[in-house]
Amino acid sequence: MAKVELVNVSKRYGEVEVVRNIDLEIEDNEFIVLVGPSGCGKSTVLRMIAGLEPISGGDIRIGERVVNNVSPKSRNVAMVFQNYALYPHMTVRENMGFSLKMSKKSKSEIDERVTAAAEVLELDTLLERKPSELSGGQRQRVAMGRAIVRKPDVFLFDEPLSNLDAQLRTQMRMELKKLHMKLATTTIYVTHDQIEAMTLANRIVILKDGFIQQVGTPVEVFEKPANVFVAQFIGNPPMNILKGIFKTEEGRPVVQVGSSVFPLPNGQGSSLQSGAQVLVGIRPDAIKMGRSTERLPKEWLCQGEVIVSEILGGQSLLEIVIDGENKLIAEVEGRVIAQPGETVPIGFEFDRMVLFDPETTNALS
Amino acid sequence: MREVSRDRIKAFLTLLPSIILIAVFVYGFIGNTVWISMTDWGGVASLAENPQKNFVGLQNYVELFTGFLDARFRQDLVNAVYYSVLLLAGAVGLGMFIAILLDRKPRGEDFLRTVFLYPMSLSFIVTGTIWRWLLAPQGGVNIVPTFFGGEKLTFQWLSSKQALLLFNWQHLLPVLLYVVAFVLIIIGLFTLKGDTPKALKRYLLPGLGLGACVWLFGDLLPQIYFMEEMHGFNLATLGIILATIWQYSGYTMALYLAGFNGISQDLMDAARLDGASDWGYYRHVAIPMLKPITISAVIILSHISLKMFDLIFAMTGPDNAETGHPALNMYLTTFRANEFSKGAAIAIVLFLLAAMFIVPYLVSSYRQRRARS
Repeated sequence: MAKVELVNVSKRYGEVEVVRNIDLEIEDNEFIVLVGPSGCGKSTVLRMIAGLEPISGGDIRIGERVVNNVSPKSRNVAMVFQNYALYPHMTVRENMGFSLKMSKKSKSEIDERVTAAAEVLELDTLLERKPSELSGGQRQRVAMGRAIVRKPDVFLFDEPLSNLDAQLRTQMRMELKKLHMKLATTTIYVTHDQIEAMTLANRIVILKDGFIQQVGTPVEVFEKPANVFVAQFIGNPPMNILKGIFKTEEGRPVVQVGSSVFPLPNGQGSSLQSGAQVLVGIRPDAIKMGRSTERLPKEWLCQGEVIVSEILGGQSLLEIVIDGENKLIAEVEGRVIAQPGETVPIGFEFDRMVLFDPETTNALS
Repeated sequence: MREVSRDRIKAFLTLLPSIILIAVFVYGFIGNTVWISMTDWGGVASLAENPQKNFVGLQNYVELFTGFLDARFRQDLVNAVYYSVLLLAGAVGLGMFIAILLDRKPRGEDFLRTVFLYPMSLSFIVTGTIWRWLLAPQGGVNIVPTFFGGEKLTFQWLSSKQALLLFNWQHLLPVLLYVVAFVLIIIGLFTLKGDTPKALKRYLLPGLGLGACVWLFGDLLPQIYFMEEMHGFNLATLGIILATIWQYSGYTMALYLAGFNGISQDLMDAARLDGASDWGYYRHVAIPMLKPITISAVIILSHISLKMFDLIFAMTGPDNAETGHPALNMYLTTFRANEFSKGAAIAIVLFLLAAMFIVPYLVSSYRQRRARS
């Protein structure tokens, strides 16, 4: 158990800079998720913390120790790889005990710790099997078991669930969460899947092109994205972004989007001059239909024309046009059966609306 | 007619020519050689138009192993065993070592790989000629120390009469049993750390027991020969072994290097994070993972060493008794002495020795394939 601190860390391959001056402080026992599109540098950050990649600049600290030049085996970190990286010629027991064997632990201690870890992960009946005789989910568990027997200071996960099918992934995600609660160890988890990021993390770090875009709790990054990239990367379907003009109407701040006028009940954009260009962000789930519109103020309701509707089981996705020109994606509760061209009553949670600067794409306060 | 069976007929017809050719020219001729080895075809009239061939059973084999005139074959056989064992140890060990060095990705790895692999492309006659010169008593390797101010070596690489580890052919049976006991004990010691009860029960105790029994009661075993006849490891074969290792370690290197390159980076990283040193990675992860490659290398090298002919012919000629080899002996017996039946018997002995290496491998790989499907 330890804090992990990245101070001004960068990584260059020749001329190409893949990680640029990252500052990040990870608390003891925190579950932090690095998320971003492929090529954003998230795996490189993880490998630098593990010591598998040398860093080109800055400092990495695990606990109180600067580990820039400490070899991977002396950092006391354990890593779970995307393809599990189990030793194919060893049994599950040998795989899990390998690190202890390398650190010259006694046979009885290895046995004890492997058995304990196997119980936690429900692998007790599989200990004598080879990885080739296991299913994907079981291999995944063995990879985790190999990490937890070591009692490391930090767990590193490199897209550990992406080789599993959708159903198993959901199940393993839950188990990972439970495991983290049980073991209470600092965990750094890399994924490109924003659902994993949202569900697992204490805090999410969103990376793009080697830069940190935003660090925050899942709710923070979802509701208060720092810029348009985060707004569209987190959340599925992504946030609706529309072009608008800020102005004051009857003493209240509003945004004019085409022929629609959206109120700004939270005083968003209070620093803006009237007539300023803005980008307006509305989450698809901030658009309501049916009974959930009842608790919204009357002026937040309007009519929308349905273009397409998709039923996803419990919710429905709708593509809606309001005021004849503004196209929006809405994610609403229940099964909405609407014909294309039909007009339906909808409501907006305008208090959840976010404004962005069109120049910098950063969020406006 | 159904599509499947038509397909099968087509496949069968396509394979038929090669099935017939292999049946006749490989298995038919093996059978014929077995038959000839059990006749008395040989001697003065062996080249007659219709030579007499009388069935004599296993007499040729009995003579080879216990006949007064065939002492040279027995030494050749001992040579072949030492040659195979040392070649395997040398070529696999050295090849693996070079592969590990090159796997560290030194500068110029591509170039070095070609350099080490190159001896493979030479013919044995060329290798033999080069090494005969290198190992000449008055030059080559023997004068290397003089470059550093040392004394000239005087070792007779290819004609030394010295022999090590001598044993009496009369005591072949106890010697073989000792070897078996020794191998069991060695395997036992190696597996002792991993699986102690199994190592003790299956290897160590039987090995020690067998060794003790032979030591106590070995005299009761029948002597297979009527007089004392010493055989051992002829030092004159060292030069030939060196030349073969030189030629084949590049080949095993290429096999291992391909294997090492095939191991995923993640696995290497996992081992490093698990605390394995560079050496630990090879010792515990990479080399055990490449067991199939080791087995292939052993099979290929062992049958090459058992059939070795041209290299020895080029290095020492066919008549140097110290460096003899069963394959050379077979050639001399058959085509120079015209003892066709005895030559055939030598060929069959070699065939069985090679089969000893290959058949277990084929059986186990066949089983694995069946287990997988």
